[in-house]
Order: sequence, then structure tokens, then C-alpha cells
Amino acid sequence: MVKNITIFTTKTCAYCPMVKKFLSAKGLSYDEVNLDDEPHRQQEALALSGALTVPVTVVTKQDDTQEVVVGYNLAKLAPAIA
Amino acid sequence: MAERTEENSHQVIMIGAGPAALSAAIYTTREDIDTLLLEKAIPGGLAAVTDQVDNYPGFPDGVAGLELANNLQQQAERFGAAIEPTEVTALHDEGEWKRIETITGDYYAKVVLIATGSAYKKLGVAGEEEYYARGVHYCATCDGAFYRDKRIAVVGGGNSAVQEAMFLTRFSSHLDLIVRSKLRASEILQKELQKFVDEGKITVHLGVTTDEIVGQEGKVTMVKGTDTETGNEVTIDTDGVFVFIGLSPNNQFAGDQFQTDEVGLIKSDANLMTNVPGIFVAGDIRSGATMQIASAVGEGATAALKIREYLEGHPIDVQAEV
Ligand SMILES: Cc1cc2nc3c(=O)[nH]c(=O)nc-3n(C[C@H](O)[C@H](O)[C@H](O)COP(=O)(O)OP(=O)(O)OC[C@H]3O[C@@H](n4cnc5c(N)ncnc54)[C@H](O)[C@@H]3O)c2cc1C
Repeated sequence: MVKNITIFTTKTCAYCPMVKKFLSAKGLSYDEVNLDDEPHRQQEALALSGALTVPVTVVTKQDDTQEVVVGYNLAKLAPAIA
Repeated sequence: MAERTEENSHQVIMIGAGPAALSAAIYTTREDIDTLLLEKAIPGGLAAVTDQVDNYPGFPDGVAGLELANNLQQQAERFGAAIEPTEVTALHDEGEWKRIETITGDYYAKVVLIATGSAYKKLGVAGEEEYYARGVHYCATCDGAFYRDKRIAVVGGGNSAVQEAMFLTRFSSHLDLIVRSKLRASEILQKELQKFVDEGKITVHLGVTTDEIVGQEGKVTMVKGTDTETGNEVTIDTDGVFVFIGLSPNNQFAGDQFQTDEVGLIKSDANLMTNVPGIFVAGDIRSGATMQIASAVGEGATAALKIREYLEGHPIDVQAEV
């Protein structure tokens, strides 16, 4: 079970709305961290994903384990929220 | 292999949902032709990840690529086009029905439109794989924000490289444009670029190859290249490298059933039909395409009208002008 979801985005990233749309279609809510508005949180996104890219989706499960999905990658996103 | 059922069968399946396929879908669905689009990434294709489109007719002040992509998608969906997020891995001509293999199962269609466009080419140099997405990037609108007040190098000299380089200056402290031979971008883009050069925001390095992307402690620090005139080594300090050196066709699923040109783009007749009856091709993946959104849209519309004729069993006039 999913406890919460955070998505790191930017304003110009075209794949970010795709992830948001996918999660909404599955009836899941999420917190969004827009790195254009909060550039100081870039380091956090990098530490979680190991990549300088967005979207980064962090799925925290009920047992507090985390799954991090880099990019709009349905093959990883779908099982992460299952 | 899944059997054909009513659920997995459609009159028309389009592979890709870029500008070419979305435009074709507007036409087919308006005529009540049951149409499914299979898209592995983002509806709108490369247009969706382009910052600003200034040459698409009807937008006197230009339009953001993502906005144009969203509008095309909404318009196709308004008439009933369905977009399925999946990747096509193979295409089989089984006569009346074509079988389309995807990572989520098989689909069948009477007519297939291939509109898969192309993907960014890689440099193939040392350091490129190692620093992928951690200093080496292929999408400015996706990853540019990580280079606020940092040095950026852009590799390439065509329209995309120049356009994306200018976009990236909104983040960079300084940008180096590394061009292997000479600039191939349109004159108007070169004029715009000159303004950035005059303001000291961009330095253009002509006749410089990119030979290696060098880093330290997991971070990119430098591009190493060669001055093609003198043969001397050139080093350019940078925090990130964006590569725009052209595109290679997304044709991996196609096998060898289609006639292609020397770069792998799929050939068509004047009706945009391939050598396989019932399989059409439009947009950047078509041999002879002019790699523009306006032409992809035009080809999508043409393909849709020719598909309708094909479905109606009308003989297709291969001499017809398109
Ligand atoms: C950086 C950049 C800037 C540009 N700027 C401009 C501009 O200012 N003006 C202009 O007119 N043109 C511009 N272009 C070119 C323009 O984007 C393309 O000509 C246009 O998008 C082509 O449309 P298309 O539908 O043929 O292909 P694409 O837009 O490439 O769409 C193809 C779609 O097919 C999908 N696909 C591929 N393979 C598969 C598969 N196996 N299964 C499922 N789906 C698949 C892809 O994910 C993609 O969404 C630019 C291109 C780039 C790269």
C-alpha cells in the first residue's frame, strides 16, 4: 500500500504532467516539488534518484520503504504504486 | 501470441502519438473510423519536449511545444481517439489483419499508420554513458533547470542545437556551443544566436570535435575535443553537456519488411503507403520527410484521407500528388 507520493518537477518538463496524469488516473494523490520554485531542493532530488533529471517520483509505502522512479517510465511506475 | 478478439481489434492503429499521428487521428475519428494510438512516451512526441515553436502556422507569436502537443491531443480525443501508453515491439502483416506486438500484449488492425518519428543520436564517446542523466543530457526542457548558474556545453550545429542552446542560457552562467564543422542552423536562428554571442552568454567553437566527456567524483567537469584545422586538443570546462547532433529513426520494431532509405527511414508511395498494403507511414520516420511539425501534421492529414480510401476499398491512385 502507498502511504504518500512526492514528485519532483520543473515548469518546462513535458514528462512531469504525464506522471501526474497517470497517478491521478489511478486515484492517487501526490505532493509536488517544483524545482524551478524551490531550487534548493535539487540536491534532495539528486540524492534520491542519482540523476539530474525530472520527473523523479518517490513512492513511500506503509512500511516506510521507498521506491524512486526516474522519468516517465510506466514499466517501473505501475509496479511501484501497485 | 494473443488471439484476435473484438477488444484488441481496431480499424486503424497508429504507432506513436506525435504531431503526425495525432493529426491523422483527428481526421479518422471525425469520420467515425475506430482509431487507437499506441504511444511509448509522451503524446505530442518531440514537439512536446521542444521549448518554443516559432514556425508553426497560425501562431503569430509562436507557441510552447508542450501547449501545441496538448492541444493536438485534446483535439484528437475530442473526436474519440484513444491513446494507449505502451511500446510497440513488432509488426506483422498477416493479410487482412495486421498484428501489432507491444510490451502489454497484441493488437490487431486493418490499417496501420507508422508515425514513430526519431530519437536523439548519441555521440558515442567516452564518458557519455557513464554520465548519462548526471551531466550528459538530451532534453533541454527536461533537465536544463539543474544547471542554474552553471556552465553548460551544447554539442551540435543544426537547428535543434542552436534553438536549445539559446533556451538553456536562461539557466547557464555561460554556454559553450561545440560545432564539429560549421553551423547548419537556419539563417534566422544564426542571427538570433549572434545576439547571445554579442551579450557574452554563448561562445561558439566551430570546427571542434567532441572526443570525451571528462568528470571527477561523479560530476562532469570538462569536454575534450580536437580543433579540426590545427589538430590541437581543445578542452572546455563545463558542468553539463547537452547533445543535439541529429536524430535516428525509431524503426526497431519494423524488421526488414519495409523498403527503407540508407538512414533507415521508411519509404512510401505518393499515398504515403509503404510497400506493405495497408501499412502507411507519416512524419519524421518517412523517407523524404522534411522534419517539421507543420509537415508532420500535413502528412498525418494526407495519410488519414488515403487510409479512408483504402478502407472503403477504393483503388488507390499511386500517381496522385500529395
Ligand atoms: C529540439 C527540437 C526542436 C524542434 N523544433 C522544431 C520547431 O521549432 N519547429 C518545427 O516545425 N519542428 C521542430 N522540431 C521537429 C519536430 O519536433 C518534428 O518534426 C515532429 O515532432 C515530428 O512529428 P512526428 O509525429 O513525425 O514524430 P515525433 O514527434 O517524433 O513523435 C513520434 C512518437 O512516436 C513514439 N514512438 C516511437 N517509437 C515507438 C514505439 N515503438 N512504440 C510506441 N510509440 C513509439 C515516440 O515516443 C513519439 O512520441 C524540433 C525537434 C527537436 C528535436
